[in-house]
Amino acid sequence: MRTVITRRLLALIPMLLGITFMATMLMHLAPGDFLDQVRMQRDVDPDYIERLEQEFGLHNPWYVQYFLWLSNVIPWDLRSDFGYSFHYKVDVWELLGQRLPATIILSLTSLTFAWIIAIPLGVLAAIYKDSVFDRISSILAYAALSIPEFFLALLALFFAARTGLFPLGGFTSTEFEFMSPFRKFFDIVHHLVLPTIVVGIGSIASIMRIMRANFIDNIRSEYVTTARAKGVPEGIVMFRHVFRNAINPLITAAGFAFSTILSGALMVEIVMNYPGIGHLVFHALLQQDQFVVLGALVMGSTMLILGNLLADIMLAWNDPRIRYD
Amino acid sequence: MSKKQAAIVLRKTCLVAMITLCACSAEIESEREDHPLPEGADVSERPPGVRGDILTGTSAGTPATFNPLVSEDASSSEAIARILDGLTRFDPVKEEVVPALAESWDISDDSKSFTFHLRRGVRWSDGEPFTADDVVFTFKAIYDERYPNRMQMEFAVGGEPFEVEKIDEHTVRITTPEVYAPFLLYIGTPILPRHKLHEAYEDGTLMRQWTISTASGSPEEIVATGPFRIRSFRPAQRMIYEPNPHYWRADKEARRLPYVDFFIERFVQDQNASMVAFASGQSDHQGITPDQVGWIRRNAERHDYGVHDRGPSTSTNFIWFNQNPGKNENGTPFVEPHKLEWFTNKKFRQAVSYGIDRQGLIDGVIFGRGEPLWSSVSPANTQWYNPNVKTYPFDPDKARSLLKEEGFQYRDGRLYDADGNRVTFTLITNEDNRLRANMATVFMENMKDLGIEVRLRLLDFSNFVNRITDSLSYEAGLLGFTGGRDPHGGMSIYSSGGRLHVWHPNQPEPATEWEARIDELMQKQLLTLDEEERREYFNEVQYIMSEQMALIYLITPNTYEGMRNRWKNIDPPNMGSMIWNIDEIWAEQRLLR
Repeated sequence: MRTVITRRLLALIPMLLGITFMATMLMHLAPGDFLDQVRMQRDVDPDYIERLEQEFGLHNPWYVQYFLWLSNVIPWDLRSDFGYSFHYKVDVWELLGQRLPATIILSLTSLTFAWIIAIPLGVLAAIYKDSVFDRISSILAYAALSIPEFFLALLALFFAARTGLFPLGGFTSTEFEFMSPFRKFFDIVHHLVLPTIVVGIGSIASIMRIMRANFIDNIRSEYVTTARAKGVPEGIVMFRHVFRNAINPLITAAGFAFSTILSGALMVEIVMNYPGIGHLVFHALLQQDQFVVLGALVMGSTMLILGNLLADIMLAWNDPRIRYD
Repeated sequence: MSKKQAAIVLRKTCLVAMITLCACSAEIESEREDHPLPEGADVSERPPGVRGDILTGTSAGTPATFNPLVSEDASSSEAIARILDGLTRFDPVKEEVVPALAESWDISDDSKSFTFHLRRGVRWSDGEPFTADDVVFTFKAIYDERYPNRMQMEFAVGGEPFEVEKIDEHTVRITTPEVYAPFLLYIGTPILPRHKLHEAYEDGTLMRQWTISTASGSPEEIVATGPFRIRSFRPAQRMIYEPNPHYWRADKEARRLPYVDFFIERFVQDQNASMVAFASGQSDHQGITPDQVGWIRRNAERHDYGVHDRGPSTSTNFIWFNQNPGKNENGTPFVEPHKLEWFTNKKFRQAVSYGIDRQGLIDGVIFGRGEPLWSSVSPANTQWYNPNVKTYPFDPDKARSLLKEEGFQYRDGRLYDADGNRVTFTLITNEDNRLRANMATVFMENMKDLGIEVRLRLLDFSNFVNRITDSLSYEAGLLGFTGGRDPHGGMSIYSSGGRLHVWHPNQPEPATEWEARIDELMQKQLLTLDEEERREYFNEVQYIMSEQMALIYLITPNTYEGMRNRWKNIDPPNMGSMIWNIDEIWAEQRLLR
């Protein structure tokens, strides 16, 4: 087990190098740089702009900028410096750290929401295969898969505006500061409902389809016939035997689901004005605040790898047949 | 505890929980500290009001920093201005510089030396006294080589910094190397607290102080002299200001300002979201763009607000031709020689100006809510606007005859120059500005009537900026500038060596006589404190600009601002925010939530 974890973590290094290198290159293919907004202000001295270019290292070619950044990131003296945001003059990790909790909360709630809805639906669809319920749930699943998240987010905002049942985006109410801890909790929950549904719906469909297929495969297998022949009650056959076998591939899928949900959350955050990482990265990209973008990429890819690793560990725990050494 | 007692406690807890849940909104209590007024407190001239209530605003921009040395954008500067005061203040209604942290000042006979008498007894919001040391420290920080900031150039004449000396605890003398016209206006820069920032100044980390992390983690570190201090800051969500308990202004009844208990600014996605929030009663004031006025007015009664028409805005929009005779590294001229000949011909530019239907632009693009623009200064800037400049009312016939006089000819309604080249050019502007793209489209139609073919290219902002300031190969552009009260702010546009002298930037020597004359006038107006004299010089600059049409001014949209009716002491100035005197405004009736 330990070797697997080390191997995975080592694999992170070339991947992060590749991703950050590509990202720097792409950002520099786009015309202009962070200082464009400053250049168009009427009362800015040209000398000052030059000094800022020097300060930010923007006068260097992009690959030099990349290697300078990289040499600061590599912890020679046990300290890794990911640079600071040009716009906020704040350390990149500090900036990302401020926004991370909101994104993680949204990812976790929508993941939980997706599983809680999708697993029972998938099981039911498998047990009552080819019934009306199965057909309708399939159609709905395909529909959900094909609606882009940002569009769903717009619909959700429209719904909130028309009914007034939910807040129009955001993470907390204006009066949040002045609330009791108890009300604070409910306020956040209230704000989370719509984004959670929007982010979760796409995953519900895919998880449900996978669950249904696996379940059907397992129902057809021989051990089910044996168990039935022995006279084991149908409920126990389904939930103790079939279910445990059928859920295996889903645990692997959860690792990926985490990453898709993370990227989905980014889009939804932008539309619903949700103060998470996506919101920050979007604006950083528009402003060409490059170290923020790189920092966020490093964080996102690391989370993806860790998510997959976690899924593999959970898989071994659920299925004693799986051994990694 | 007996069982019975436990049951009672439990019941009480449930009850409290239910009440908190049921209440639609928590009652917000302010907890103001009470400190004696400083001995030199400034007394507001406006009628006294009542303390209390919350002023709410929404904003599409989030402050990026609370450090005045770092601030680059309007959102940051606005936030800083609420927290930190300067020696002087500009009163936009009186249109003059009024005392702030300095109670009064004397000007030496040679107009170069200013002695500021600081207000006595003023304290920072943490209770530390405000003294001459803070002022000296601020200028030391501004001029420090380690901390490049844009004030370095505002507070210098010909690269020479001002001399700042402490006379005693309450007196500071600032001497400029030459007479510097906008001195009193600019000297209102925020004064920094020496006791909080000196250490960071010494160890070279001053630029990393007072970031948004400070504001969200330890807002009490950002001490204030202004009306407010930061209570809390949540990135991308909101910012809550609370009154500075040591603020130096009071009303006639000796109550310390500001009146409001809290000022909340919510950060929203964009300006549209901000306007929707206002029109649905979620905020108290809001700037409104001309194209949105109609529907927002319809909600006015329901949410008890008024939409004020504030007349022309400070923003200017113009079209210009590239008159740069230079070549790029490959030796190709920026502009084809025969086109350069048209573009540098004053009559050609004037003809184009006569050919533009500005009223049509106003009606078509901003629903009639704007004014045609003839001068480089918007009429909103009443202090500096010159109404007597050359105007170009829409007259296609006159335009055509002007062109013919210059040797241009018409064949099948198309315009050709004397050498038989078809008159056509490409106009560039940035795509993210809808107003500009729309104006460009109308302009194309207008030019078609003159037989000129205009092709429109919409570029993204970075690309656009690169074209007009760096690569310089383009034919015509459409751009706008906003704000800028003092002529000094326009130096980079008017002077031939300026960076934003867009039609031919960064000239080592003025290329034409009229550009040389403008350079001379702009220098002259800088070297006197006499406003009348400055106005004379600057009026001539505006006249030359209007005659030469190097920048063909188009229109300026009107400004509209919405404000809830319950707010009193609102006194809208000609330009700038309606809540500029945020410390003096108060709510007549409490909002029942």
